[in-house]
Amino acid sequence: MNTSQPVEAVVALRGVHKQFGAVRAIDGIDLTLTPGECVGLVGHNGAGKSTLVNLINGTLKPSRGEIDSHVTRGGRGSAIRSVFQELSLCPNLSAAENLRIAHPTLKGLGWRRRAGAEIRTSLDQVFPGHGIDTDARVDTLSIAQRQMIEIAIGFAPRGGQARLVILDEPTSSLDAGIAEQLLAYVERFCAEGGTVVFISHMLGEIFRVASRIVVMQDGRVVAERASQDFDRDSLVDAMGHVAQHAPSAEQRRHAEGSVSAGAASATVIEDAAGLSARRGEIVGLAGLAGHGQAEALAKLYFAGTSGWRAPRQPRMAFVAGDRGRDGVLPLWSILRNLSLSVLPAGAHRGAVDRRAEATLGREWQQRIGIRSDDLGNPITSLSGGNQQKVLFARALASSAPIVVMDDPMRGVDVGTKQEVYALIRAEADAGRTFLWYSTETEEVCQCDRVFVFRDGKISAELSGAEINEERILAASFEMQEN
Amino acid sequence: MTRHSISPRKLLPLISFSVLLIATFALQERAMSYLGLNLLFNLTIPIALATIGQLLIMVNDIDLSVGAFVSLVACIVSTLLVQHPWLGWLALAGLVLAYAALGALIHRFELPAIVVTLGMSFIWGGLALVIMPAPGGTSPEWLRALMTVKPPLAPMAVVAALLIAAAAHLLIMRSGIGTVLRGLGGNSRSVARAGWRLSGLYALTYGLAGVFGVLAGLTLVGLYTSSGASVASSYTLLSIAGVILGGGEFIGGRVSPIGAVLGALTLSLAGSLLAFMHISPDWQIGAQGAVLILVLAARLLFTRREALI
Amino acid sequence: MLAAWQAQTAPAVKTGVVAAADAFTIGENQPTDQAAQIQNLILQGYDAIVIDAASTTALNGAVQEACDAGVVVVSFDGIVTAPCAWKIVNDFHEWGREQVDYMAKRFPDGANLLEVRGLPGTFVDDDLHQGIVDELKHYPKLHIVSSVEGDWAQDVTQQAVAGVLPSLPHIDGVLNQGGEAYGVAQAFRASQREMPVIIFSNAQDELAWWAEQHRKNGYQSIAISNAPGIAMVAFWVAQRILAGEDVPKHLTVPLYHIRQDELSEVLAHTPKGSVADQIFTRADVERLIQQARDTQAASTQPNTAPATDQAKNPSAAQEIQP
Repeated sequence: MNTSQPVEAVVALRGVHKQFGAVRAIDGIDLTLTPGECVGLVGHNGAGKSTLVNLINGTLKPSRGEIDSHVTRGGRGSAIRSVFQELSLCPNLSAAENLRIAHPTLKGLGWRRRAGAEIRTSLDQVFPGHGIDTDARVDTLSIAQRQMIEIAIGFAPRGGQARLVILDEPTSSLDAGIAEQLLAYVERFCAEGGTVVFISHMLGEIFRVASRIVVMQDGRVVAERASQDFDRDSLVDAMGHVAQHAPSAEQRRHAEGSVSAGAASATVIEDAAGLSARRGEIVGLAGLAGHGQAEALAKLYFAGTSGWRAPRQPRMAFVAGDRGRDGVLPLWSILRNLSLSVLPAGAHRGAVDRRAEATLGREWQQRIGIRSDDLGNPITSLSGGNQQKVLFARALASSAPIVVMDDPMRGVDVGTKQEVYALIRAEADAGRTFLWYSTETEEVCQCDRVFVFRDGKISAELSGAEINEERILAASFEMQEN
Repeated sequence: MTRHSISPRKLLPLISFSVLLIATFALQERAMSYLGLNLLFNLTIPIALATIGQLLIMVNDIDLSVGAFVSLVACIVSTLLVQHPWLGWLALAGLVLAYAALGALIHRFELPAIVVTLGMSFIWGGLALVIMPAPGGTSPEWLRALMTVKPPLAPMAVVAALLIAAAAHLLIMRSGIGTVLRGLGGNSRSVARAGWRLSGLYALTYGLAGVFGVLAGLTLVGLYTSSGASVASSYTLLSIAGVILGGGEFIGGRVSPIGAVLGALTLSLAGSLLAFMHISPDWQIGAQGAVLILVLAARLLFTRREALI
Repeated sequence: MLAAWQAQTAPAVKTGVVAAADAFTIGENQPTDQAAQIQNLILQGYDAIVIDAASTTALNGAVQEACDAGVVVVSFDGIVTAPCAWKIVNDFHEWGREQVDYMAKRFPDGANLLEVRGLPGTFVDDDLHQGIVDELKHYPKLHIVSSVEGDWAQDVTQQAVAGVLPSLPHIDGVLNQGGEAYGVAQAFRASQREMPVIIFSNAQDELAWWAEQHRKNGYQSIAISNAPGIAMVAFWVAQRILAGEDVPKHLTVPLYHIRQDELSEVLAHTPKGSVADQIFTRADVERLIQQARDTQAASTQPNTAPATDQAKNPSAAQEIQP
């Protein structure tokens, strides 16, 4: 059928912009997807890949620009399918029932039989010999099997025909053999005139299936070439450059002989996974988002602090990145949010010492520059960046020798970042230890030592001059070519 | 559809029901008869219907207004439906629509269902008091006849329980739209991504729950022949307990209509069993709670063991 | 009522008049619970069920099941409307009339009366009120100047009476439905008005207050009530039916009166927090049945004998009480 079809774009984006509030997620993209091609889409976290996917499949409407498509786009019966990185099946339903949800024409008596047949056919095509029970509830299956079902639903006809399938990290939970089956099927699917957008951090896979590679950064397409025109190094180059407006790592990796960070200072943290930190050291946790950094931090933090009674001298303090979820207490004042970590220490027989609390608040307001005329105002009256400063102050005001930071700079403006970098550096020089998870390379470059995570494990330990964008990226992406 | 996955955990509602039924028969052999079975279970029919209504909402929410709603329906049935039948039916249809609208609102404004339904329970209760300041009323003739019908082979209560279980199973577990509604509890985002309008689905869920609530109110009046503004006030907790006892969970769309009907029957059986043992009714609510805890504990054990395998 | 039941059925069980007379209660005053209980009692094979119904209509389904299963159902105090059940009631209409009669005797030259009504919408409240209205027609000099709802509760009554008192003229007497008298007295005392003649009930606290007033200033009144002994009437009626006797479906039990001269003696026998009771023996009940039969014969055609041919072997009676 591909011979008779004119080479018409399945989807064409022209000058597409997408804004969420003040954030420009997509900043002018032109992209044409034609039948029979497999486009590899790569870029950092936050480069705008997910937004682009949702624009292509019709979930989001562009703020500006046009998207043309000659196939059904969006809604039930869409010929454009997306398979997401996070599992998006209904766990309480069987594979066949999950197909029903995405299948507009499965109706009437015997729909179960037809749904079962369709999903089995699709599974057999993509993953021959899969051995999945399509009538079993999805939550009784392994993660790999669930991922396979999701992919199979993506490719299933569903009362029409899949014309464009967007696969977002489809192999993240598949083993090599199964992943190879998928790659082979993607090739067949494209050869028969289908289109695939393949998003992966496994550059090997991208090179294996993509006929064209699109590199995104900051909501823009920064490179778009046939895949044979890329090699591993040029692709990594194209993905990442980070503005070096922060004080250079080399300069800052301070004068030899400074107290902190010397190999001589005592190790204060060491865990089984290989993560370690010395007194006065700033240790970075890098890698792509969701590869186990936050979990490693949480494990470390809870192991170090759990207990029925909060000790007067806490060992660790925590700065949350997800302010809304585990940082800010939205109903409380700025002051109370700030003083939370030191309340037990400043209390007299269980009662809060209000005067000491107020003094502490004023002191930190000056030191860290919280922009508010009254610390009694609710914390939600502050901007995101200032709320984050309060959380920093909360951690730093405590006497904890170790500060754990879970991507703490989200939504913080450049100026504030510079202030906080300086503050952290000063505290480290005074002997405090920082564990700092960040998805931004610029922040990671502030660290004395960096552990790069991939798939929940440490894939590299970098220190000194080794800490640079290229090394971090290389360790973040698996480069095996099978 | 559970060809190969019949686990002890799934059979638990049936097992606990059977254990209690055997104990009841052992204690009171009169119960083991056409008349006996009917007496044992007929008053549970409205509760079983209310439990199915609760189950629909418990796909990912909880409905604290079931009892008040069924009471209101009963008040309308025993007054308006008797005096002005078409006006009565209109009012009942209006209630179902109100329930559906409630579902759409809950989704549209992301309101917590537990709070909204708690609030609604006072509104339903107030309306019921307006309609019926003091208990009374009568049952429509046809309804009374329906609830006292003596079918061949099995008594009305057993036939009705089987019918409710079968209908609810077909609707919720087997039908396409029921599958989508359950999917809402499992992963509403993925249902939305597949192109469904969630507010429509929520309205459908609550509307169906309203239909079962209306059926519960109808059968209640048919059985008791009268009603009052708080006649079904115990149904809220009984229906939640029935769903849980039947293997359902509070979240995630893991429900079983057959289990829920069995759960409702089990709860009332527990009450009868205690009466036969000459235990004071003061203990009855506590004993029903004990049954609930026992079954949940057993379920936890089975779940743990399954997880180990 | 439960205590009276147990005290008086025990000898009957001992002497073999009945095999067992178990008492059951329900936790909350819910007709649905009571209906379920009746069905369980049918299953347990009792021959008769004696019931103080929580609802006049909501138990009809279950009562009909019982009758269909051949169980004798005797309802008392709170009666059911199911036609197959026996109904034993106090004459609430009479209760209303007697109160008016007493006031007429005390105030032959006329009086202002306050009426305290009970729980609205109940047949007891309706009957009692109707009795008052009907009897007042005979005494044009007695005037009801106001009427409040007390819901049969002291606190509600006190609040309701205190609410209307400022707007009322001098009140000579207060009619009520039993159990409100103390609340009325409290309200009058708080308003510093002269204490009117209040009709009392059989509650010990009311009787004690009355006795105290009598000691202090010669205060006089009467107590009229429906004593819990009615449960015993129901018991003996059930027993007679099971024994094969032909008992009319409706029986009226006389009201319990405590007159001024009986007060001190009754009070002496009534424990604190309890109620004064009237004891009905088997002989009393047989007399009541005979009376009812006579009035029935007098008022209706001869062949309306109720069908009581089931359950010939008296083995058990049963009380349910909300």
